[in-house]
Amino acid sequence: MSSRKRQTTPAATSQESTTTASSSKRRVVAIAPDADAVLRECRKLRDVMRSSSNETSDKASRVIPEGVPSSIVEVDELKAPEVLEGMESIALDIAQQVLSGKGFSMEIPSRAATNQLYVKEWDRIVLGGKRSSRSFLNVKESRKAAITLRVLQLIHAVLMKRIHITKRDLFYTDVKLFVDQAESDGVLDDVATMVGCTRSNLNVVASDKGLVVGRVQFVEDDDPIDCTRMGVGGKAIPPYIDKIENITSDAEFILLVEKEAAYMRMAEDRFYHRYPCIIITAKGQPDIATRMFLKRLKEELKIPVLGLVDSDPYGLKILSVYMSGSKNMSYDSSSLTTPDIKWLGLRPSDLDRYDLPDQCRLDMTENDIKTGKELLKEDFIQKNPEWMKELEIMVSD
Amino acid sequence: MPKSKDSSPSEVQIQKSPAEFFAEHQAIAGFDNLGKSLYTSIRELVENSLDACESANILPEISVHVTEYTQKEFNKVAGLAESPRKNANDQELFQKKTKTPKKPPTEPQLTQETNESSTKKRKTASQDAYFRIVVQDNGCGMEHNAIPHLLGKVLSGSKYGVRQTRGKFGLGAKMALIWSKKSSGQPVRIQTAHRRSGTDIPTHCSVCVLDIDISKNEPIIMEHRKYANKENFIGTRMELLIAGNWTTYRSRIVQYIQQLAIITPYAYLQLDYENISEPQRNLQLQYQRRSEQMPPPAATVKHHPSSVNNIIVQQLIQMTRAKNLVKFLSTELASVSPAMAKRLIGELNEVDEEMDPRELTDAHITRLVQLLKRVEIFKAPDGSCLSPLGEYNLNLGIQFVQKPDLIATARDKPAAFEGHPFLVEAAVSLGGKTMKEGITVVRFANRIPLLFESGADVSTRVANSKIKWSSYKIDFKRDKIGVYVSIVSTKIPFKGTSKEYIGDDATEIQQSVKRAIQSCCQQLKVRLVKRTALKDAKERSNRLRKYIPDVSRSLYGILEGMRKRREEGDIHGDEYTSTASPSKRLRLDPQRSNQMIHKLKSGEMNEALITRALNQAIRDHQPQQDEQIIVAEKATPLFLVPLYNLDDPQYDVLDVLFTFRPIQAILNVVSSTSSPETTH
Repeated sequence: MSSRKRQTTPAATSQESTTTASSSKRRVVAIAPDADAVLRECRKLRDVMRSSSNETSDKASRVIPEGVPSSIVEVDELKAPEVLEGMESIALDIAQQVLSGKGFSMEIPSRAATNQLYVKEWDRIVLGGKRSSRSFLNVKESRKAAITLRVLQLIHAVLMKRIHITKRDLFYTDVKLFVDQAESDGVLDDVATMVGCTRSNLNVVASDKGLVVGRVQFVEDDDPIDCTRMGVGGKAIPPYIDKIENITSDAEFILLVEKEAAYMRMAEDRFYHRYPCIIITAKGQPDIATRMFLKRLKEELKIPVLGLVDSDPYGLKILSVYMSGSKNMSYDSSSLTTPDIKWLGLRPSDLDRYDLPDQCRLDMTENDIKTGKELLKEDFIQKNPEWMKELEIMVSD
Repeated sequence: MPKSKDSSPSEVQIQKSPAEFFAEHQAIAGFDNLGKSLYTSIRELVENSLDACESANILPEISVHVTEYTQKEFNKVAGLAESPRKNANDQELFQKKTKTPKKPPTEPQLTQETNESSTKKRKTASQDAYFRIVVQDNGCGMEHNAIPHLLGKVLSGSKYGVRQTRGKFGLGAKMALIWSKKSSGQPVRIQTAHRRSGTDIPTHCSVCVLDIDISKNEPIIMEHRKYANKENFIGTRMELLIAGNWTTYRSRIVQYIQQLAIITPYAYLQLDYENISEPQRNLQLQYQRRSEQMPPPAATVKHHPSSVNNIIVQQLIQMTRAKNLVKFLSTELASVSPAMAKRLIGELNEVDEEMDPRELTDAHITRLVQLLKRVEIFKAPDGSCLSPLGEYNLNLGIQFVQKPDLIATARDKPAAFEGHPFLVEAAVSLGGKTMKEGITVVRFANRIPLLFESGADVSTRVANSKIKWSSYKIDFKRDKIGVYVSIVSTKIPFKGTSKEYIGDDATEIQQSVKRAIQSCCQQLKVRLVKRTALKDAKERSNRLRKYIPDVSRSLYGILEGMRKRREEGDIHGDEYTSTASPSKRLRLDPQRSNQMIHKLKSGEMNEALITRALNQAIRDHQPQQDEQIIVAEKATPLFLVPLYNLDDPQYDVLDVLFTFRPIQAILNVVSSTSSPETTH
């Protein structure tokens, strides 16, 4: 029996908005007449959020819950001088080892898959307490040790100059030693965990990936930005999240879109005027900047986040990265995760509920099913029985 | 009375057909074309010479001299007068290249050369021509009176009983004689001095010039004389003139000599090629003797019961002196005791133990053969009659010719295939200047190289598809792997008419080859692992040192940065507003940092100091296992010859505590004949 339970995001959602085309060149899109009805649920959510916002929620708490080893690695937002001081402390330690004629070795929190644990109370993945050492006198580790020290020094210089560089920049600073960008990129996270700061504290940013459009205004590095007036494509989410301030918005919700195509459709249709909202996409798997930006928006505006992702395991996986964090960046999950995103759809169970025709459904590929089965084993999926149900529909037959 | 009945028809057959048969079907014996005929002629003569040396236990010294002649030169040498043409105008006869029936097939082209411009000369010279082949050895020579018979008659040698031999058909040099007769019409010239052992100098020398009468299968003696050996001539010198083609088979001939040097390291081999008209193409090849260890000669053994057929049994009956059937079976066949013979006879109808074997009818023989093939409890034929090269020699041979980086040898235990014992020796080499990347299989059967049809051969198949090279740390695509497989047997199960390969359907042989190669690989693996470790240790300091500049520069850079920051008053600024818990954060120990900054300012701490300290650390921390590895690497391999077939308890000396089993020297490597092996 070949039932088709996957469907691409329906771009048709906003099709109706085109009916309000006016004669002027700039199309004015008015609020949808049914907005109040449609947004009723959404407003309820918002009210709950705002009323409970005063209480310190478990998830934001830094108190380690019972049953979780106290050795877990969690990094903090640090100021540049603190990061510099941390690096210098490491360098001093290394210098002392070197001068005593024993070479040197560094202790680095392990970011291996076996050292990742999901903390239910926090609803996110954190890094366990395992550490690995990197010794210069060990032939297998010496290269990595040299690279680590070099990255440490380069970032020290970057921080002293108070500038930001991209990962690519960092790689090009010493191509001869790094050879492959993956080498310098990987070491970057090691440096962050060693110092105990977030990766953005190192002033190393990834190039733009995420986009935002809709009813939000903020000041970026003293320039006022209005995301309703960013043209059709919207604004690129800047990697320098710490340069954003004064966020204001009259949006009722944030719409998180997986596919850029769906985002473009809604941006062009100015969907955010019909139903006041902010539309964000990271074009698939989210990067750090988008995740931090989303977290920032939600915390400051206190409006619900709705996820519009594909009805397949990848869609769910992307949603889970926004919510519980990725394994690679688990040491910094506290500043990257946005809990409580509502899965808007389309859900596998909707396919039959709304009797979607077969022509709109795609078969699950083998790879999809494999990913789905792996997801079923993950704690951060298992905590949500509704999701489990949907996922099981996806992978079954 | 059965004797006359049997022998008379076979007599007629032998007399009539062999020489003619092989002259007509020469491709079977390796004379497919001119190039291969040259190759096979050389090969047959060389192998004859090797046999002549080894049978007298003389370390062989063999030289091959090949001289190339154009037809004009050939005519001069052969004493044919350059006959002026009667019809000088009849050019079209040659231009059309119609075959003139009386002349050799190469003539049209060669005739052109004599007439036409020199531009064609090179082309024709590189093609078919005449060759004088002279092969000289230091072997036992031939007895004066036996010479014509030994060489001039095809299939004259008797091969009853089984023995490991080099030849494929029992033709030896005779086929070369037929080819010489066929292609050039020139007789063979033999000079030989007979001796019984390697030490005495023969007193007389024989010269014999022989032609062969193909239809009668008889030698025509043109000259046959004996004279006092004043010049101390030793061995045999064979000289023949044949048509051939050097260009197309040059590489094969060279390859043959090269591989022969591998499998015969105790021989001195020399090949000279001389081209009269184009001396720049001359070639000389020499392989010095590398080993003094000569394998013992192969012994002739009785037929194993599972290998016989009707003809063999009939031949045995003709030859036997046994008066009754029990005696016949137990003396003429291997692994059959009188008790076993009685049990066998008990299985046959109309036959009793006291019956004269000559009274057996054809039907009896057929049933006997069927019975022999069915019986499973015969002791397997043993390998002691075989004459393998030995691992020591194989190792030396390969070492000498290919000069590989690593080499491992192995000998599998003897086994039997279709009633014939066989023994597989193998070697696997890695590296070597002349070797190609990937697997090169070199095959030997009864200690002669097999050069053709390697694709279907059991050794090639096993090496290419049955060995998991990667599990032995060998990269079968990029490493230069040499696989040498030497199989000896009383009967090599060749496939195909040309007898150039052994099929891989001989399961026992295939498995033995596989075991031998695997054993080599296993040895190599150990050494490869050790070698890698040694190399790593050597490279370790180099690899570490490579990163010293990066480390020193980076470390110094951070420390300098710290100093600068301190100078700018930045280090204890008032920007501490982060939410981080102070305890978790890495803090700078003020005392240590002050000390460091002081050192930096005074120049006591600098990049060069870091570099020095790191260099010192690398020197101080060499792993200690290095020495062991070096010792292991310097060790020379020791070759012990395994002794099989020791399950004969006949002479055991029994004691309460032990059993002595005296063993004989099976191979000459074992020096003492009475070295006892303790069992129990």
